Amino acid sequence: MSSAPDMALIESMLQFIGVFVSFSVAYVALKGVKHTESMSLMRLGLAFAFLGFGFFVESLVGLGQLVPRLSITATDVVVGGLLLETTGYFFLAFSHAVDVVLSKRMGAALLILPVISISGPDLANILSILSFYFVMYGVVETFYSYTRTRKPDTLFIAMGLALLGVGTFFQWLSLVYQYVVVLSLLQIILQVMGLTILFTPVLRFAVGGVKVDGPI
Amino acid sequence: MAPYRTQVRIIADVLSTARDMNVEGTGVGVTALLRRGNLSYTRMSKLLSELVGSGLLVELTGEKISKYMISEKGVQFLAAYHSFEDFAQSFGLRL
Repeated sequence: MSSAPDMALIESMLQFIGVFVSFSVAYVALKGVKHTESMSLMRLGLAFAFLGFGFFVESLVGLGQLVPRLSITATDVVVGGLLLETTGYFFLAFSHAVDVVLSKRMGAALLILPVISISGPDLANILSILSFYFVMYGVVETFYSYTRTRKPDTLFIAMGLALLGVGTFFQWLSLVYQYVVVLSLLQIILQVMGLTILFTPVLRFAVGGVKVDGPI
Repeated sequence: MAPYRTQVRIIADVLSTARDMNVEGTGVGVTALLRRGNLSYTRMSKLLSELVGSGLLVELTGEKISKYMISEKGVQFLAAYHSFEDFAQSFGLRL
């Protein structure tokens, strides 16, 4: 049976993988902004930068449990991390919403509403529900984009986002049922699996070795 | 209805035309660029000056008309543009 510090260490390590992947996606997207001045890439970069900071802040909770001298208030850190994560998911959903408006088409998921009731006026609870809603909106729009482009990469990314969404759902469950420790670990594993899938375009980009002199 | 094109998308379209239609290596005329670029003459003229100024296109001045050819920097720009376009499309987004 794993002890609490062991669990905290695993959670922190998994969170750091999330930090690395998120910042990598943000880096490529923001590099794209520099060269193409694309607002889509700007929103994507911002989304993953916020996610990266969110995962980093949440990883501090685990570190706080490992090092007792670090007097980190877990609740405040969790809420801070969730706030950053929710902002990241908002930018992800916003990117798709803007694309829907610019291409003058009907949004595939505009009518999807949060179906899970919020249990109590807990801020962390509300943030994780909002994250779930935003990321699921991103999933549906990405799937819709796949039906238009038939690009396997897009389907792959939609699956990664779906895993991220399910992870967010487990995050909500872990906040409601705080005594079920495994929920929190499941959440991070799913989120890291999802983020690892999202890392694929970054890898392809790095292998492709894009060379440009600078902005036009 | 034609989809909304960003300025970068228009530049990429013009550069692609200058690359693809330059089969004989003598450059591409403004008429061909206008036909494929779907821009007004005034806007295209201004854009061509900017692209020549930034080194993405090379202007080949003839006796009567000017022709345009994509430069090495332009080829690099197009390659980078397509990589970033591919990256954005992976996330279900348009550049």
